[in-house]
Amino acid sequence: MANGIKDKVAILGMGCSRFGERWDVGQEELMAEAYLEALGHAGIAPDQIGAAWYSSHYDDIGAGKAGTPMAQALRLPNIGVTRVENFCAGGTEAFRGAVYAVASGAVDIALAVGVEKLKDTGFAGLPPASRGTFAPMYLPTHTNPGNFAQLARAYGTRHNISAGDLKRAMGHTSMKSHANAVKNKNAHLRKAITVEQAVNAPLVADPLGLFDCCPVSDGAACAIVTTPEIARSLGKTPVLVKAIQLVASNGWEVQSSSWNGSYVHTARIAARRAYAEAGIADPRTQLSFTELHDCFSITELVTLEDIGLADEGTAWKRMLDGAFDADGAMPSQVDGGLKCFGHPVGASGLRMLYECWLQLTGQAGERQLANPSLALTHNLGGAPAQNVCSITIVGAA
Amino acid sequence: MTGITALAIHLPRLRLQRAAMAAAMGWLCPRGETRGARTLADWDEDPITMAVAAARACLAQAERNGVPEARTAVRALTFATTTPVFAEPQQAALVHAALRLPEATRTQDVGGTMRCGLLALHAALESSEPALLTAADMPLNTPGGTAEMRYADGGVSALVGCGPDLLTYRGGASLSAPFIERYRAPDRPLATDWEERWVREEGFLDLVPRAIAEALGKAQLSAADVDHFVLPCVIPGAAKAVAQAAGLSRAKLAQPLDLECGDTGAAHALVMLARAMEDMRPGERVLVAQFGQGATALVLEATDAISAFPAAASAVLADGIAEANYLKLPIFRGLMPWERGLRGRFPVNEALTTAYRNAEALLGFVGSRSPETGQVQFPPSRLAVAETGLFAETQQPWPLADLGGTVATATADRLAFSRSPPNCYGLVDIPGGARLMMDFTDPDAERLSPGDAVRFVFRIKDLDERTGFRRYFWKAVAAPAPSAAA
Repeated sequence: MANGIKDKVAILGMGCSRFGERWDVGQEELMAEAYLEALGHAGIAPDQIGAAWYSSHYDDIGAGKAGTPMAQALRLPNIGVTRVENFCAGGTEAFRGAVYAVASGAVDIALAVGVEKLKDTGFAGLPPASRGTFAPMYLPTHTNPGNFAQLARAYGTRHNISAGDLKRAMGHTSMKSHANAVKNKNAHLRKAITVEQAVNAPLVADPLGLFDCCPVSDGAACAIVTTPEIARSLGKTPVLVKAIQLVASNGWEVQSSSWNGSYVHTARIAARRAYAEAGIADPRTQLSFTELHDCFSITELVTLEDIGLADEGTAWKRMLDGAFDADGAMPSQVDGGLKCFGHPVGASGLRMLYECWLQLTGQAGERQLANPSLALTHNLGGAPAQNVCSITIVGAA
Repeated sequence: MTGITALAIHLPRLRLQRAAMAAAMGWLCPRGETRGARTLADWDEDPITMAVAAARACLAQAERNGVPEARTAVRALTFATTTPVFAEPQQAALVHAALRLPEATRTQDVGGTMRCGLLALHAALESSEPALLTAADMPLNTPGGTAEMRYADGGVSALVGCGPDLLTYRGGASLSAPFIERYRAPDRPLATDWEERWVREEGFLDLVPRAIAEALGKAQLSAADVDHFVLPCVIPGAAKAVAQAAGLSRAKLAQPLDLECGDTGAAHALVMLARAMEDMRPGERVLVAQFGQGATALVLEATDAISAFPAAASAVLADGIAEANYLKLPIFRGLMPWERGLRGRFPVNEALTTAYRNAEALLGFVGSRSPETGQVQFPPSRLAVAETGLFAETQQPWPLADLGGTVATATADRLAFSRSPPNCYGLVDIPGGARLMMDFTDPDAERLSPGDAVRFVFRIKDLDERTGFRRYFWKAVAAPAPSAAA
């Protein structure tokens, strides 16, 4: 009988490149930047790594398919490298692969790297993703602002929130992340904004305006994982993996009229399973902070409810009350989140874990929270109606 | 004697104001008539989609008039246009698939002259085979010219020999003549028109009266027996002069609809007929003629059923949205380059194997229904959609096109590439528990909100200027709209 991943694997070291419009470097250099930092923290040599997982979404504008781009960029010692791709949740998927490899006992130390080089397209926002041959024949040409704008409208309708109130709550969500990112030297956007600026910004997809949307960034993040025993033998205070859950939509939301569009079905399932795996009975008191997939301000609000940190229909009010600010009851996006740290698609899940690892090991500098013990990351790939949603919980030993 | 069982038109909702056309181009090419408007097909409409829309309205009309089996009775389908979308493949095959007509249908495309629609009707009326005729046109003319103002976009569909007729065929004639007043090479988008006084004197006034005389002879009627006369002609006054020359002294001249929609080319004789039929009484006779490398004249007689003929054409004519931006015409028709951004440069992968494998779903909008749960879904799949559980019994085909739906979520996306921004789309719930993310189209697309009723229309899904390829799928528009009630 499976008993889950709790406490079987430890994070030995992590790294993260500076995110942003990195006109100066390509995908290979971004990976190296994150990898060298992680290697330094872990205090190991490359030939101690037994297997590697590599997450990158856009093979056409990035380094290409398969494991070789990473094996070559990092000059890995001829180990197995598995490329994974799960929309924006690819970073967590790579981490899951590495963690499961260690937990299985097949390897002692495993590597997970996520990277995306998005600023080689010539335009802002994510490029249209390949969807095979059949789907483009009937699905609209949609973008993620359009997909999440539908979530915002449905959430507002479902809970009778006025358009003005919802815009202000979404504005506060972004304002808070901008304030947090000012303290993060690796962040893409490091400029404070006001709620008014956010509310009055040009519309991208009604009701989402410019400041409701995260930027797309170049960047890479990296984790090196091992067993708790090896971590301790190397003199590290390990951060332990408490839960990893990944849930893929099976078409129920997008192909049947049962789902009301105001929440993310997979997030609720993933959260429930993750809390069970980690043995968390009351996330509101047991979790110290969260790193959520705030691709859009509305996503963060809805997710806070989906993972049980706010009652249904109330996250917008609690956001306005400051509950999720850095000094609030449950800080969210202490590092700036996707909104301001940036969103290099394949790297974002690992970037969230990087912040958790920094905070839990007391290395977060001027944005360090007081005595955090348990952190949650939520990494969503796809659209509200059809997605891959992953939740990871990590904690101090 | 066979006859016309149902007749319905479809016009694009955009009505390009002639005053706006003159304001944009009058400095360069002084215009004549600047009253009224001409229809303008949206970027996602073309002769195929207009033919499908008209045919759906036509079949629905037949169904309401007590011919429920019309769709399955059809044995021949003709698609008539002077502005074909493809030189290959056959376009009637796409119209046929969108209408889900029987596989054993003789399909054909006809074109070459604006008279092709009436020629096809003549052939159908001379045959004993139940036939569906579709004619749709989008004549393109040089920017700034008079023809650009006079011609317009539209479609029509007639069901022939399928049951109780609205009009009984009494006789007809088609004459052929190498009279070339307008020409266009296959690789050229724009037609060239010759001097109109010559067209009127040597063309219309010579050929049409002779065709009329011959048709009346076949019908064993005299000119004085004709109550209504339909003749599309963009030259002012020419139709009246032809009526006089042909001795149609008693006949009421059908409205040319020039102010409401303009001349819709291959469709226009029947578009005018549909409007004229609203004013006809049982026993009245109508002579329908059209000119082009000869002339065709058909004599039809109204049956008692004409009293119940709906004023649907008038409703479609009235359902326009005034468009004052002339540039939409050259841009929608690909006559001038425009800045689409790098996001809009991605090629269309035609994947013809995938398209054929899924043709029933894509062209006919056929989903599936699980025999185990009753759940309807799109696209069809081997295993039924469900929140949990495995439902593996083979699903049944489930047509969705006529069901309509309700908007569940909606957005107006300003980031996505669109040929008419913003790109509007959302989840649509369809009876039976189905849901699909669909494009919203029509000038009012941005207004659609959760809870709104929609109906489905067959439109261009993607087109690729580099290859000339285009493909089709179904989109949602606000319901009800007049052409649905045709």
